[in-house]
Amino acid sequence: MDFLEFVNFYIVPGLVLGSIYALGAVGITLVFAILRYAHLAHGDMATLGAFVAFAAVTLAGVPLYAALPIAMVATALVAVGIDRLFYDYLRERPRIVTVMASLGVALMVRSVVQVIWGVDAETYTRGIVRPENWWGIRLKDREIATVLTMIGLVLCLQLFLMKTKWGKAMRAMSDNPNLALLSGVDNAKVVFVTWMIVGGLCAAAGFFLGLNTELKSMMGWQMLLPMFAAAILGGVGRIEGAVIGGLVVGVVEEVSVMFLPSEYKAATAFAILLVMLIVRPTGLLRGKVL
Amino acid sequence: MTPLLEMRDVRGGYGDADILQDVSLNVAAGEIVAIVGPNGAGKSTAMKAIFGLLNIRGGSITIEGRDITGLKPNQIVQAGVCYVPQVDNIFREMTVHENLEMGAFLRSGDLSSAFERVYGLFPDLRERRRTLAGNLSGGQRQMVAMGRALMLDPKVLLLDEPTAGLSPRYMEQIFQICRDVRDAGVALLLVEQHAKQALAFCNRGYVLASGSNRHEGTGAELLADREVAEMFLGG
Repeated sequence: MDFLEFVNFYIVPGLVLGSIYALGAVGITLVFAILRYAHLAHGDMATLGAFVAFAAVTLAGVPLYAALPIAMVATALVAVGIDRLFYDYLRERPRIVTVMASLGVALMVRSVVQVIWGVDAETYTRGIVRPENWWGIRLKDREIATVLTMIGLVLCLQLFLMKTKWGKAMRAMSDNPNLALLSGVDNAKVVFVTWMIVGGLCAAAGFFLGLNTELKSMMGWQMLLPMFAAAILGGVGRIEGAVIGGLVVGVVEEVSVMFLPSEYKAATAFAILLVMLIVRPTGLLRGKVL
Repeated sequence: MTPLLEMRDVRGGYGDADILQDVSLNVAAGEIVAIVGPNGAGKSTAMKAIFGLLNIRGGSITIEGRDITGLKPNQIVQAGVCYVPQVDNIFREMTVHENLEMGAFLRSGDLSSAFERVYGLFPDLRERRRTLAGNLSGGQRQMVAMGRALMLDPKVLLLDEPTAGLSPRYMEQIFQICRDVRDAGVALLLVEQHAKQALAFCNRGYVLASGSNRHEGTGAELLADREVAEMFLGG
C-alpha cells in the first residue's frame, strides 16, 4: 500500500472522525472545567442535535448546512433547560449524584429521539457523493466542511474565552471558583453561558457524525467513550487539548483497522483512555487532576 | 466620627457551632488595623464574617453606618469592602492583567484609571502584565491578589494573613505595600500570624482569643502590654 492510499483510506477518515470527536470533547472538557463533573448525556444530546437538523431538512426544507445553526441553537436551549430542570437542583450535592443524573438524562433524551424519529437509520441526503481529487488525496465536500467547521467553531470559542467579559468569567470560574465568586462573578450566568456553548457544540458533533455516516438513535451514545478519551488525552479543561485529543483518537481508531478487526475500533478509544489514566492522568497538555 | 467599618458583638460560625462568641471591632478611614491572636482564636473567621462567608447569629456589621450583615459577597464588594483570601487568591491560569480585570468585574466603563492606580502602586506588575499569575514569585502573587482587590476602588481592604509563607524580606515588602495602599486612601484590616511585626507596623490592633475580644489598643500599647506579650508574643 502506498502513502497516498494510506492517507486516503486511514488518515482522511481519521481526521474527519477526529474533528467530530473534537467537537464533543471540547464540550466535555468545558463541563469538566467549569461544572466539574463528567457529563454522560453528552452523546445523546449530540444525537438530539443531529435529529433536530434532520427535521429542519426534511420537514421544513431548510438547506443542509443552514440546518446546522438551527440545530445548534435548539440543542443549546435544550441543554440549558436540562440544566435548570435536573443538574441545577443537584448542584449542592456530591458531584457523583449529578454524574448519575446525567446518565438518566442520556436515557431520557435517547428515548425522546426514538419516540419522535424511530429507531431506523436515516440520512440527510440521498445518493452517492463522489470525492474530489486534490493532488491524489480524495476528499468529499462534507469532509472538508466537517474539519473546517470544527476549526472555525473552536477558534470562535477561543476568541470568546480570551477576549470577552463572560469568556474571561468562565476561565476564572474554571481556574478558581471561590475567587471568581468573591470578584462578583454570577455563577448562574456562567453556567448558563457554558450550557449554551456546550449544547451548540454537541449539536455540531451530532450533525457532522450524521452527515458523514448516518443518523441513528444510538449514534451519540456510541461516540461517548471516544469523546471522553479525547478530552482526557488532551488534558481536562484544555480546549486545544480536546481538539488534539479528538484528532488523535479519530486517526488511531481508523488506523487500528489495519491491524485489528473493525469491530474492535471502539476498543482503541478505551485503550487510549486506560493508558492515559495510568501513565499521565493530566493529559498531554497538563489539564486538571480530577 | 463614625468608623468606616464596624463589627458589633458578632456571634456566629460556619455550621451550627459558634466560633465567634462576641467580637467587636472597627476600622476608621486612613487606618491599618491588625487582628492578632493565637491559633484558633477566630481571627480569619472574624474577617470572613465581615465578608458574608459565615452564618451570623448575633450582632451587626456596618459599613459607613449601612448594615451589611448577611449580605452576599458580591453585594459586600459593591458596598466597598474587598477581601483577599489567604490562599488561592489569584487566578493562576490568567495573566496579571486579566487578574486585575476580574477584580473589576462588577465595574463597567473605562477601567484605565483603575489599572493606572494599581500599576502605579505595583510597578513590578506593570512589567509582567502579560505573565500568567501562576508563574510569579510569592511576593508578586500577593501583589496581584491585592491589586485585584483594589480594582474596585474599595473603602476597606481585608487581608487574610498576607505574609503567610513569605520570607522576612518579602514580609517587609508587603507591609510597605500596605502603607502605600493606606496612603492611597484605602483603610486596611488584616489578620496576622506574625503578631510582633504586625503590631509594630499597624495603627491599631485587636487581640482575639477563643472567639472573643481580649485586648485592643494602638500597636505600640499592645506591644508594651505585659499580658499580651506573655500570651502571644513569647514573653
